[in-house]
Amino acid sequence: MPELNIEELRDLEPFIVCLGSHPSTIQALLDFDYLLGRDKPSVKVIIATGRKHERYFFGKKEIVIPVLDSVKKLSEEEKQSINLFINLVSARRILSSSKELISIAPNLSGGVIFGERLPEKHALELYETIKQNNLWILGGASVGLVIPGKLKLGAIGGVDSRQFEASNLFAEGQVAVISSSGGMVNEIIRQVADTKYGVSFALAVGGERFPITSPKEAMLSAEADPNTKAIAYFGELGGTDEADVADLLRSGKVTKPIVAYIAGTVAELFDTPPQFGHAKAMAGSQAETARAKRELLKEAGAKVGDSFADFINYLRRLDLMSIDNISKDADDLQNRSKGLIASSLSYDENGDVKILGKDILDLAENSSFAAIVISMLLGKQEISKETENFTDFVLRLLVDHGPYVSGAMNTIVTARAGRDLVSALSAGLLTIGPRFGGAINEAAVIWLKGVKNELKPSELVEDYASRGEYISGIGHRKYRVDMPDPRVTKVLSLIDGLKERKFTNFAKSVEAETLQKKGNLILNIDGAIAAGLLDVLHECEGYDYDALAELTTQEFFNALFVLSRSVGLMAHFFDQKRLDEGLFRLSDDQVTKL
Amino acid sequence: MPRKRLSEFRAKSILYKALDEPYSGWEFNSEEDWQANLDALPDNQNYVVKVDQAEKGRFKKGLVKLNRNKSEATSDLDELFNAGYQFALVEPYETHEDSEERYFSLERTRDGIKVSYSPSGGINVEENSDSITHEVFTGEPLSGIDVDTKSLSSLVDAFQSNYFSFLEINPLVIKDEKLYLLDAAVEVDNEAEFFEENWKASDLRRPKSKAESPEELSVQELASKSQASFSLEVINPNGRIFVLLSGGGASVVVADEVYNLGSGKELGNYGEYSGNPNLEETEIYTEQVVKLLLKSSANSKVLIIGGGVANFTDVRITFKGVVNAIKKHEEELRNQGVKVYVRRGGPHEKEGLEAIKSYLEKANIAGYIAGPELLLSDIVSLALKGEGN
Repeated sequence: MPELNIEELRDLEPFIVCLGSHPSTIQALLDFDYLLGRDKPSVKVIIATGRKHERYFFGKKEIVIPVLDSVKKLSEEEKQSINLFINLVSARRILSSSKELISIAPNLSGGVIFGERLPEKHALELYETIKQNNLWILGGASVGLVIPGKLKLGAIGGVDSRQFEASNLFAEGQVAVISSSGGMVNEIIRQVADTKYGVSFALAVGGERFPITSPKEAMLSAEADPNTKAIAYFGELGGTDEADVADLLRSGKVTKPIVAYIAGTVAELFDTPPQFGHAKAMAGSQAETARAKRELLKEAGAKVGDSFADFINYLRRLDLMSIDNISKDADDLQNRSKGLIASSLSYDENGDVKILGKDILDLAENSSFAAIVISMLLGKQEISKETENFTDFVLRLLVDHGPYVSGAMNTIVTARAGRDLVSALSAGLLTIGPRFGGAINEAAVIWLKGVKNELKPSELVEDYASRGEYISGIGHRKYRVDMPDPRVTKVLSLIDGLKERKFTNFAKSVEAETLQKKGNLILNIDGAIAAGLLDVLHECEGYDYDALAELTTQEFFNALFVLSRSVGLMAHFFDQKRLDEGLFRLSDDQVTKL
Repeated sequence: MPRKRLSEFRAKSILYKALDEPYSGWEFNSEEDWQANLDALPDNQNYVVKVDQAEKGRFKKGLVKLNRNKSEATSDLDELFNAGYQFALVEPYETHEDSEERYFSLERTRDGIKVSYSPSGGINVEENSDSITHEVFTGEPLSGIDVDTKSLSSLVDAFQSNYFSFLEINPLVIKDEKLYLLDAAVEVDNEAEFFEENWKASDLRRPKSKAESPEELSVQELASKSQASFSLEVINPNGRIFVLLSGGGASVVVADEVYNLGSGKELGNYGEYSGNPNLEETEIYTEQVVKLLLKSSANSKVLIIGGGVANFTDVRITFKGVVNAIKKHEEELRNQGVKVYVRRGGPHEKEGLEAIKSYLEKANIAGYIAGPELLLSDIVSLALKGEGN
């Protein structure tokens, strides 16, 4: 059997990975799936950089398809499940990305390469690869493969669902369409639909010099396919693939009737013909001219049109049954509009607000404020008691630190300038960053780096010392080793019940190093909150190192500070209003003249 | 993608290096101070002067001059550059007997690198084509070839690592087991520049061409900056039939039909756009075709806007660009009595076809609009007969 086994593909439950993205093509595959009545999209995952998911429609409903930045990130189950691919990356990366996928997906049947201008040497290297691995690959420059009523892999057959109906792509037909040209395969699909014979399958091998799966191999697939009763072939000047097709006919390896058109006799007009649209479309020798290839196929027994109209007439005169058109609700898929924003957090259902799937009133009645806060910030419906208690304590603890600090000062100055509550609060919040209030997230970055890379605390301390940088989370103005900060003691006691406490232990061992240098280089409240939060998220919520790193890049570890301190900032605003303090201004001696 | 000719100078530089032999040859460019470069060559020997562009049958066309001293070389280069060539190659002249001339070529095929060889090479090799043997190189010695296996392997390695598609050395002369590549023609895969470092796009050569029109240059510029594909070539500036075609395959089908119906000589241009260009790009492209059409002195001119049933090129959007471009030249098109023939299908074909139809009616430009119900090639006979309103 040929590698491209159409009958087997009809029974396959497609699990498609897209290398790169081409939204209109991917949407078309999903529309085809939906109209066929599949309950899940055949495209399971996209490999691309820049985002974590892409939004599509499945029917009229919006869905997301996960995006990974490398095939290495696929789960073992996904690697085993992938059976088809579409490669949508640009020419430079086609060879490497295709080979990488082939090496990790043991159950691959084959795929399509959409990008054009694949170097000839790379195409032939992939040809060797598919022979060794018993695969098929259409392309480069292929619009794909469509098996009516079963599978669509590529833009072939259209991207507008009304085109599927016009080409009767929901009904299993009898004519295989094989073409070098992506545009012409679709043109011929439409012509076959008009004959009522229907398409058994259609594919474009691509307009490049060396199609990876060649016309010869595609012909053998058509011969082996029980549904196919005749073959329509479109070829062009350039290359010698048609000589192989003629051999198949002469040797009786293909017995089904072939009707064909070979484009490019217009080249006879020129002394030096132009490069026509496709890479292969330049005749290097007499044997590669359109006329020579037409004659060769005619002699071998194919019905070859001298004009395109002749070819279509041969197609119409095939002795085949008529099949019925199957129509679906393709019109319903027109005029869908995507949401302006996507949200997985909350929505309104008939006037009832749902937060992470739970009714807001239910939450208000049965959940603590801390539980609501941490579950919303994490986007996680259920959270553990440990995490809730830790959050609760931190929210209480960080509520204020006196009027001296940057945030409170800004709020006070703004309040005294006569501004309103929200302006004063915002002015205070805007100071939160790397120097004020941002130390918790910074400390989390350091503890995570240390644990993840199994750093020795002494190395980490030396590293910072040699660069003259402070370690966030270490050091206090007042408290010392012999006069510990009672807040730190309390925070650490909250996670006593955890098993591993990797992050807290690491932070403590860093403290042990720094204390050898100076007695006030203790683990401070920022460092303790960061370590404790890392430990509860890791042990009680199942966050692995990568997921925690992701949270640090989003400054998650400052969020509890921002929330809690907002209370303090607003309190300072009201305090100033109560005291009716006037406009704040520095006196001359409070400014040093340089 | 397409195979392109590498300059003979660059080809020989690569090949002699692969053979571990020195190469003496000098490249001349009419746009540089070539006289000074020529003056710098040694006086005590004679030279071969030849055009270094993708020109077939150079010897028979008198574009190769043998056994020239330096002052003769000066007048040769002057002559070639005045004739419109830009690149030439100068090499030391070496004598040999015609009987020593061999033919050697390598070609990339699906089965491997095909080696072709004949002991009777030279300019008349085509008359001795029966003497050429063909064999796929596997690394094993080939029988009946005077090129030693080590040199053959070196040439094949250079062929592979430099992404050559075709290499022809004719004549090849072998003296004392040393290879002299007297005339070398190499085609490279021009999409491979990124993957190798011995040649650059500036080493690729084209035949001496007719001067390119501003419209063709605009389209080259457009193509170089776009994800989509565009090509445009003037065939007969005073043709009657101008084509605005989409799709690499469909565009050839429509051009074939013009030729099949005996009107090839009246075809003004060939070109195609594909790969879902945006509105602005389609507008720029269309305007170039319209400008060529308006410049033609022919009577009863027609514009054929043809294409198959597109897979993903949006007909509504691309046709908006087409209409915008026609709108800019609406009055001239009407005054010249140009008729517009449209056949197209694909995503949003209904909206696209309706838009162009209602525009042409409003603008009072004669036209005929069809979708996939009309056979792709049939739009040509309708246009040639001037049918429709």
